[in-house]
Amino acid sequence: MPLSSLLPTAPKNAGLPLTEGERVFEGIGVAPGVTIGPAYLFEAGAWQAERVEVDGSAVDDEINRFERAISRSERELRKIVTVAEEKLGAESARIFDAQELMLRDPVFYEAVVNRIRSEHVVAGYAVQSVLDRIRDRVVGADDPAVRERAADFDDVRNRVLRNLQQGRAVSRIEPDRVVVARSLTAADDVLFSRRGVLGLVLDFGGPTSHFAIMSRALGVPAVVSLHGMRDSVHTGDTIILDGLSGRVIVRPTEDTLARYRAKQARYEALRDEIHAAPDVEATADGHPVSLQANVEFREELPLLQTFGADGIGLFRTEMLFLAQGRALNEEQQLEVYREAVRAAAPYPVTFRLIDLGGDKVLPLAHREPNPFLGWRGVRILLDKPDLLRPQLRAMLRASAEGPVRLLIPMVTELGELRAIRAAVKVLCAELEAEGIAHDPNVPVGVMVEVPAVALLADRFAAEADFFSVGTNDLTQFTLGVDRGNDLVASRYRELHPAVLCLLDRTVRAAHEAGITVSLCGELAGDPRATALLVGLGFDALSASPAYLGLARRVLTSLTLPDAQALAQQALAAHDAAEVSALLAAWLHEHTPDLAAVLTGDPIAPDPLSLDDV
Amino acid sequence: MITRDVTIRNRAGLHTRPASMIVREASRFKSEFFIRKDGYEINGKSIIGVMTLAAEQHSTLTFLLEGPDEVEAADALEALVERGFGEPI
Repeated sequence: MPLSSLLPTAPKNAGLPLTEGERVFEGIGVAPGVTIGPAYLFEAGAWQAERVEVDGSAVDDEINRFERAISRSERELRKIVTVAEEKLGAESARIFDAQELMLRDPVFYEAVVNRIRSEHVVAGYAVQSVLDRIRDRVVGADDPAVRERAADFDDVRNRVLRNLQQGRAVSRIEPDRVVVARSLTAADDVLFSRRGVLGLVLDFGGPTSHFAIMSRALGVPAVVSLHGMRDSVHTGDTIILDGLSGRVIVRPTEDTLARYRAKQARYEALRDEIHAAPDVEATADGHPVSLQANVEFREELPLLQTFGADGIGLFRTEMLFLAQGRALNEEQQLEVYREAVRAAAPYPVTFRLIDLGGDKVLPLAHREPNPFLGWRGVRILLDKPDLLRPQLRAMLRASAEGPVRLLIPMVTELGELRAIRAAVKVLCAELEAEGIAHDPNVPVGVMVEVPAVALLADRFAAEADFFSVGTNDLTQFTLGVDRGNDLVASRYRELHPAVLCLLDRTVRAAHEAGITVSLCGELAGDPRATALLVGLGFDALSASPAYLGLARRVLTSLTLPDAQALAQQALAAHDAAEVSALLAAWLHEHTPDLAAVLTGDPIAPDPLSLDDV
Repeated sequence: MITRDVTIRNRAGLHTRPASMIVREASRFKSEFFIRKDGYEINGKSIIGVMTLAAEQHSTLTFLLEGPDEVEAADALEALVERGFGEPI
């Protein structure tokens, strides 16, 4: 969730070698929290050694172990050179030849022996330290041909560490570390959280990736999209991770460290306060606004209780299919839907029919030139009754256990809404005939994500049972911006007045027709936007559970007339920056403690703070 | 102690393959071997050192050799460079 709307900027100390001094990076914060701890570089296939000390008497043994590992590595590389000469050609073979020479290179070998002797550390750690230092110089060289040689040092390190049987192959993660990686899967996330990692920092990734969602679900602070900061970090370096602003600081100065410890304390105090606060879902003057959860994985269901969600405002069912890599049958889906309904009881669950396509293309589907504007959502469902039928039946059957609502994705035509309604009617009759319990009056609503629906909101409101606004896609379609494209990602602004205009129109039409309207995009979880959204008139906000506490804090601090005035000001603004400034000023005035955590310390202005206040 | 000035002749310069050839050749001799370039001096028997020299075609290096077989070593190493390491010139 992009609480920071800034592009990654160049590291602060551009003149120094990459691995010296304090470095500040701006990424996208996807899971909230402020974390400070030692870095652990995660590299698939790589070995990492921890600093372990040995007794003075064991030093000679350690040096012998090192020599044996070098001999083994030499033999391996000689074999590889022979095979490489045959199969890959002379040039490739030379690279392995050079690696073999590196093993006995005095610059390396003697440096390692000296380190073992003088620092009394295990060979693996000495090898890693020496090679990392050499590698750093190489990575910082002007000549690209030299820089490329960095990979050779990594290869040699991995080979020697493996032959030492020291250090760990990557699957073992130490607790209380901040893991730094190029990219991670959601599965890695689960693994790491069980091992007690403090935080996760990735070069790649976006705010709606599975990894981001999982991090929030697991409560592990995370920042993504740091674009190569990994080259500036060593295992063991102190890292500060701010999952709210998306800032990562490597090797902080004492001063920086002190400031962020203070920020961490403020955040934790606020978080504890929020946790302890009563589960109120209304403004200070008693106007109700429902705070609900966006859910995709079973792991997130317990979070409903933890964060006081009044139901599931958006259950993204396509994730079940993607996780399995295939379509689930009726029984398999029913099992999950029932679990969700039970977890949310007595509050409703809004199941969105599978929205596949766009950035979530099924692996087996034929490649569309523009999947985002292509065969997705309700379009696929209406073309493939064998997908639609089991899903609708499973959802209808789940409705026997608690309140359920059905949400149709990517609607552009009234005809689509009518077709789904007709299908629901047919299936209800079927279930009736089979004697299977279900709610015959399950509400059917539409996603408002394509501008066409917002523009004709009155006509859709007359026939839909409810609206759910998906600001992520609505913003992309309205502004013509692909938020996943680095070149233009900064133009993706949900606070653009044009988007707000469509939101306003949608809410008015909904209320005129007497139906409810909720917002389920990431904006719903951004506490800086809560006042605006309440002022526009949304009946419910559905967000990642981790952010509900922050939204509630704002909600309970405002009065409806207040929020409405803010919304009117925002609607009259000229651009997103103006809106941002309005919202920030409002936040500073009405919830200064929250503003302090989101934007830096107002008492001692933070010179590193680039947040837009 | 003797010195020889050499000029890199092959098109691709002192990349990994020539670098490893120099180090292997130099290791045959007892003499110490240093390479000087642009004010830097590195151990010519260190592949890490030579790999990171990144000397291009037409650049000049100074070979420094000291030891019992310094003349032989200098001749052999100079010849290697003159031949362009067996690569296109």
